[in-house]
Amino acid sequence: MSTPSITHRAETTGAFARILSVVRLQLVNPWTIVIWPWIIMGIIFIANLVIWWILSLSLGPEVIASEASGGGGVEINGGSLYIFIYMMVVAIMAMNLTFSFALGFGATRRDFYLGSALTFVLLSAMYAVALAILAAAEKATDGWGLNGHIFRAVYFGDGGFLANLWIFFVLFLFFFFVGAVIATVFVRWKATGVTILACVVALLLVGVAALIGLTNNWGTFAGFFVHWGFLGSYTWSLVITAIAALAGFFILRRATPRG
Amino acid sequence: MTGTPVIQVDGLTKRFGQVTAVNNVTLSVTENKIYGLLGRNGAGKTTLMQLLTGQEFATSGSIRVWGEHPVENAHVLSRVSFIKESQKYPDDFKVKHVFRSAPWFFAGWDADFAARLIEDFRVPLDRRVKKLSRGQLSAIGVIAGLASRAPITFFDEPYLGLDAVARQTFYDRLLADYAEYPRTVILSTHLIDEVSALLEHVLVIDEGRILIDEDAETLRGSATTIVGARAAVDGFVADRDVLHRSGLGGLSTVTVTGLSESDRAAAAAAGLELAPVSLQQLVVDRTSGIPTELEQSA
Repeated sequence: MSTPSITHRAETTGAFARILSVVRLQLVNPWTIVIWPWIIMGIIFIANLVIWWILSLSLGPEVIASEASGGGGVEINGGSLYIFIYMMVVAIMAMNLTFSFALGFGATRRDFYLGSALTFVLLSAMYAVALAILAAAEKATDGWGLNGHIFRAVYFGDGGFLANLWIFFVLFLFFFFVGAVIATVFVRWKATGVTILACVVALLLVGVAALIGLTNNWGTFAGFFVHWGFLGSYTWSLVITAIAALAGFFILRRATPRG
Repeated sequence: MTGTPVIQVDGLTKRFGQVTAVNNVTLSVTENKIYGLLGRNGAGKTTLMQLLTGQEFATSGSIRVWGEHPVENAHVLSRVSFIKESQKYPDDFKVKHVFRSAPWFFAGWDADFAARLIEDFRVPLDRRVKKLSRGQLSAIGVIAGLASRAPITFFDEPYLGLDAVARQTFYDRLLADYAEYPRTVILSTHLIDEVSALLEHVLVIDEGRILIDEDAETLRGSATTIVGARAAVDGFVADRDVLHRSGLGGLSTVTVTGLSESDRAAAAAAGLELAPVSLQQLVVDRTSGIPTELEQSA
């Protein structure tokens, strides 16, 4: 029997299989990406329930109820916002340290980026579905019987289940890919790069604001959001998301994992 | 089986700003041999390996692995294993996550072999990678490198922090597995004595240049230490290539290259003692900043 040679045995697996390997790598420790976020969300939710309950006890249920019917109630609640910020941090970590690790395991930058992007889309979909279901449940139970708002914060609008689902989805995509592009800038140009990026973005925002102000166009600016409504305005964030996603890809293609 | 080049490097240079980490390197690596990439800290070992595995981009020169560019080449990289000494791991990773994900990236991954190695090296699977000692980190790299059975496997400073038992274990497992599954192994280290018996071919790199590119056997026989009375030794080595010289009282110890049979006979006749030179001593002599005419690059 000849010596088993392994040199030519391992045929290259297909491109999609390689990308899926990166997805599995990103999800290999579900605690960080799935379990902890829900535990924290659960704690925030329970804390909110307790606060609403105490409020309804001390103020009487009719006060809370009148807020609900008349508007102007406590509709602003950062409780569910935390999860978007958390996912941005997840994206930053996934792009930075996991990048070095995946390259150590022989992944190409291309496969790593596409696999990570697919992971972000899958996670966005999962979290959007979950939040939309929770928002629907919150509505159906009159705010968990206490007229609470946590999954139906005022800045999400409330255009029904599908509208909520879509808004959550595009928002998650936004936070994932903005986090990812910040991380790719860090991987490639380190802290200097991130500082410069922050300055450029700040200058751009100030510049746009100045342009709108000097040309007396704040009305037009506000009109844009009024025209598009919650659903349409959030959908426009996909433009920024897409720019971030593309930029991240090209930045990472020339990045190196340095210690 | 010998002679098939799997890696071919030509005029390879890598600069980081003012620093030239790899300087005009030309070499070729033959299939199914164990190479030692030896050199001092900062000599360019890791940079060279990162270039060969597409992790760094060359400033100039060419690299071919199985005849192809390694950069962004899944066809090449999926058959190469390189866990570098300074490998970064995701913050939330425990050791088990490393070995759980390894088979997704290495087609030849042997899970049973990995499990045995994990036991041999006593790596705690449930501990966070961040919390591991230097030796345990090295063990992760060693286990991944061995169990991946990649056709080209790099070991980057595998001995760093390993205790004597673990070093022996690595040595034994590598030789046994290599005998059963021949592959190309490139092992970088500055702890030369530990590995010298493993190596079939030696590459010595210093300040980014390849100083020695030689078969290990040939290299071991390439230098000899001559001990004897100062006058006799000085007379014998007068017009020879001296690598190293030291003395104590009337005694002199000199290391020279390339002694022929007749040279040896002459030395013996002159009452001089001849001793072989260890690989480590050779590398020290050649890289410690003694005159450059000693360089014998390929």
